Amino acid sequence: MNAVSALILGIETSCDETAAAVVGGGARLLSNVVLSQVPVHRIYGGIVPELASREHLRGIVPIVRQALEQAACELPQVAAIAATRGPGLVGALLVGLTYAKALARAAGKPLIAVHHLEGHIHAVLLDRRNQGLPEPPFPAVALVVSGGHTSLYWVEREDQRFRYELLGKTRDDAAGEAGDKVAKMLGLGYPGGPVIDRLAPAGDEHAVRFTRPKLKGNPLDFSFSGLKTAVLRHVETHAMAAGIAARRAALGAGAPDVEKLRALCDQPTLDLIASFQYAVAAELADKTLAAAEQRNAASVLLTGGVAANRRLRRELDEAGRARGFEVFAPPIRLCTDNAAMIAAAAWPHFLAGDFAGPEVSAEAQWALA
Amino acid sequence: MIDPNWLAPFRHFTSHSPDETLDFGRRLARALPRPALLILTGDLGAGKTILAKGIAEGLGVASAEDVASPSYTLVHEYRSAADTLYHLDLYRLEQNEQLATLGLEDILPGGVAQGSVVVVEWGAKFPLFARLPRIVVALTATGDSTRSIAAAFEEGRE
Repeated sequence: MNAVSALILGIETSCDETAAAVVGGGARLLSNVVLSQVPVHRIYGGIVPELASREHLRGIVPIVRQALEQAACELPQVAAIAATRGPGLVGALLVGLTYAKALARAAGKPLIAVHHLEGHIHAVLLDRRNQGLPEPPFPAVALVVSGGHTSLYWVEREDQRFRYELLGKTRDDAAGEAGDKVAKMLGLGYPGGPVIDRLAPAGDEHAVRFTRPKLKGNPLDFSFSGLKTAVLRHVETHAMAAGIAARRAALGAGAPDVEKLRALCDQPTLDLIASFQYAVAAELADKTLAAAEQRNAASVLLTGGVAANRRLRRELDEAGRARGFEVFAPPIRLCTDNAAMIAAAAWPHFLAGDFAGPEVSAEAQWALA
Repeated sequence: MIDPNWLAPFRHFTSHSPDETLDFGRRLARALPRPALLILTGDLGAGKTILAKGIAEGLGVASAEDVASPSYTLVHEYRSAADTLYHLDLYRLEQNEQLATLGLEDILPGGVAQGSVVVVEWGAKFPLFARLPRIVVALTATGDSTRSIAAAFEEGRE
């Protein structure tokens, strides 16, 4: 086995997806299996940790087996096993990390403990390498944005070593969390982000003007709590209760039917949805590009579950181009939580011989930098 | 139910801005006994997370800007040499059983983490907390940026 083609089995269970993947040399995506628990959680309107742990336990063995089968390899051919150590729900993290430890021990393979957000950042590199496209130039500013995180990192690269510096983060709600709460408030079900993404094009995104948060201290920090409150005030003062009740009543236990929801949204509601989405996208894009200008970044990376939002991708891409930055965002299946990104992020650690011992613990709160 | 004397200055307060809510939290934290369980009530946007930020600053365990919403991870823990703050946000949880795997028995008063302060957002719906002596802090929006804040002691009942 040579290092260039070494296979890494990645395992990710930090929140509500049970995922396993095999990636060769941090570049070749051989399999990427994701079991989402969204249908299980939807009836509860959110992620329930007890359910998350139980569903991970149920899913982890078949998902890992499936990832190995799809990659047409067996455990002895894998060079290392990588798992997410944190941050996330501790009960959920424990399932993946403990299983990875046991596999590594049984198969005599090294274990690599990966930071979830380092995984998201490396999803960008994996996608480019896997397509045979040039990698993003470094140093880069990376916006990692999801249901639980909204962080800006400065990423420096020296050969295969990466160094991260936190430039800004949310002071209150993560962008995805604000989207979920607004969706729930408007009777759009769970998960709310994708529904907002699909309904927003039918609204006028300039119809409702939300004031931008003014923060003391670090100008690259984010805040979405005020926006969420502003949407609530707008709902309370614009006779939207009947529509919300109608949409809630129409939501079944299954996946939200976007067409049905759309038929139950009047124009002011669609305008509000579009305006909210635009406010989030503009805030994220502005601060990311301000950071890129300040640091004179060579490129901008956009990743994490909310990076799947089409309006955000367009906003950052267009505004980035206007200001001279190329923006790299992975395809949607690599934006949302997956294990291929964990296997890809493990690659530099593998090359550096940076392995975890059997005592490594799951870390619910763990800073990347 | 008789409020303890230390709670008197916090029974009724009108906040005119997030900064005043933050400062109320700082002062409240400095007066708190240990252990303490605080249940924050109020609608979305009432200022519960801001109050939690103030409490973290008052305890000296974290600066306000480092205390973010724990909605997704449910529990955030902040420590200084002298104090531990557990900040819970149970917005996503609906049933008492769903609390079971959070390990709350360890951090609540009577559990192993004796000296800690536990601040719970969206916790009023769970009977688990009603069993324990607690301080309920109710935030009510009375205008765009004004909030009525009322703190009261409640006995635990079995």
